[in-house]
Amino acid sequence: KPAFTDEAVQTLLYKMTGLDLHKVFRPVKKDLRPPQYKLMTEAQLEEATRKAIEEAKAKLIMPPVLNEREPIDDVLAEDKVLEGTETAKYVFTDLTYSIPHRERFIVVREPNGVLRKASWEERDRMIQIFFPKEGRRVIPPVLFKDENLGTVFQQDRHEDVLNMCIAQFEPDSPDYIRVHHRAYEDIEKHGKYDLLRSTRHFGGMVWYLLNRKKTDGLLIDMINRDLLDDATSLITLYHVLHPECQSAKEAKEGKLQGVDLIKVFVKTESQREGYIQLALQAYEEAMATSSAS
Amino acid sequence: AFSAGSRLLKGCRGGHIVIRFALGGCANRPFFRIVAANSRRARDGKYLEQLGCLDPLPNAHGEKVVGLNLERLRHWLGCGAQLSRPAEKLLGLAGFLPLHPMTVTGAERLRRRRQREQQPGAAPADGSAEPGTGT
Repeated sequence: KPAFTDEAVQTLLYKMTGLDLHKVFRPVKKDLRPPQYKLMTEAQLEEATRKAIEEAKAKLIMPPVLNEREPIDDVLAEDKVLEGTETAKYVFTDLTYSIPHRERFIVVREPNGVLRKASWEERDRMIQIFFPKEGRRVIPPVLFKDENLGTVFQQDRHEDVLNMCIAQFEPDSPDYIRVHHRAYEDIEKHGKYDLLRSTRHFGGMVWYLLNRKKTDGLLIDMINRDLLDDATSLITLYHVLHPECQSAKEAKEGKLQGVDLIKVFVKTESQREGYIQLALQAYEEAMATSSAS
Repeated sequence: AFSAGSRLLKGCRGGHIVIRFALGGCANRPFFRIVAANSRRARDGKYLEQLGCLDPLPNAHGEKVVGLNLERLRHWLGCGAQLSRPAEKLLGLAGFLPLHPMTVTGAERLRRRRQREQQPGAAPADGSAEPGTGT
C-alpha cells in the first residue's frame, strides 16, 4: 500500500504545491525597520532568485503524516502498602540530556501505590516543562478546541492555525490529527484550496482528500486556474493510491495523457461530473480563443 | 555502606559527598533541589552539582513534579556518594532504588493509627481527651 513518504508520491505532491515566491516570502510581522534596497546586475539578480528558490524549497518541506499513537498503559510495580499515605501523584522525569525525548523515562507513582509509565499527554507536558521548545506551551492554547477553530476558519487563517498546531503538538498525537482534519474539511467544504497552495500544508491536504476520495472540488479549482499539469498529477496520484478503480485500469490500458486522462476520470470516478465537464469546456474554449488570437 | 577506602573523591577534605535536598523558594512555598554536596556544607550552600528538583506542592493537574538526572546520579553513586534519608525514600518511590523500609513502616503505622481513631468511636475519645486537658 503506498505511503505518504514514498518518493513518487512526494514528488507529485511537491509539484502540485507550486512555488509562488511572493507568497512563501510574504512579510511576516517583525520589528519595524526601513526597507533595504540593493542595486544588482542581471546576473546578480538571477543568482539572488536562485538562492531564494533554494530557501523556498527548504520552507516547503512537508510535515509528516503519521497514524495516531497507541495509548501507553504499562504498570512497572504495584505496592499496595503505600495506599493512603500520599494525596497527590508523583511524576518522575529522567533529565539525562543526551537521550531522545521518545525514549525518556517518565513514570508516575499514584496515591494507591501503583508505579506506571506516564500517558502521552503527561509526557508532552513534562518534556515541555524541563526542555522547553520554542512556540510550544505547557498547556495547549484554547484555540485548538473545536468551538474556537470555527471562528478562526471564518477569518481564512487556516495556514496560521496549522503552523501553530505543528509547533504545539507531536505529529502522531490525536490533537494534531484532529486539528488538521478539521482544517482540511473546512477548506474542502468552502473550496478555499488556494489558501494553502504555496505552503507546506498543501501536500498533507491532498493526501487527506485522496484517501477519502473527495478530490472533485480540488480538480474543479485547478482547471479553473488553468493548472492542467497539477490536475493530471492529482489523477496519477489517485491511480497510485487506488489501483483497483476503473479509471486506473482504463488509463493503464490506453496510456492516456493530459485532458483525456481527466475525461476518463470524470466519467468513472467523480460525483460532480457536470461541474467538471463545464470547467473543462470553459478551459478548452479559453485555449482555443487564445491560440486563435 | 560507607568505607574509608572508597575515597575516590578527594574533592572534600574531612566530610563526604551526600546527595540530599536543598530547600529554596519563598515564604509558604518550598522548593527542593536534589543536590550532590559536601556533607559539611550548609544545607543551601555551595554544592558540587544539581541532580534534579522536587516540587512538594501539587500543580494544577494534581501532580508533584520531580526531575532526576539519572545518569549523573549513577555517576555520583558510583563514585561513593551517600544519600540522605528523604532522598532514599524519594528514589524508592521513583523505582530507581527498592522501596525504603521506613516508607513501608510509616505507611503501616499510619494505617494502624487511622484504624484506632475510627473503630472505638466517640466514647474513648472523650475519656482520653479529659486527662490530656487536665494535665
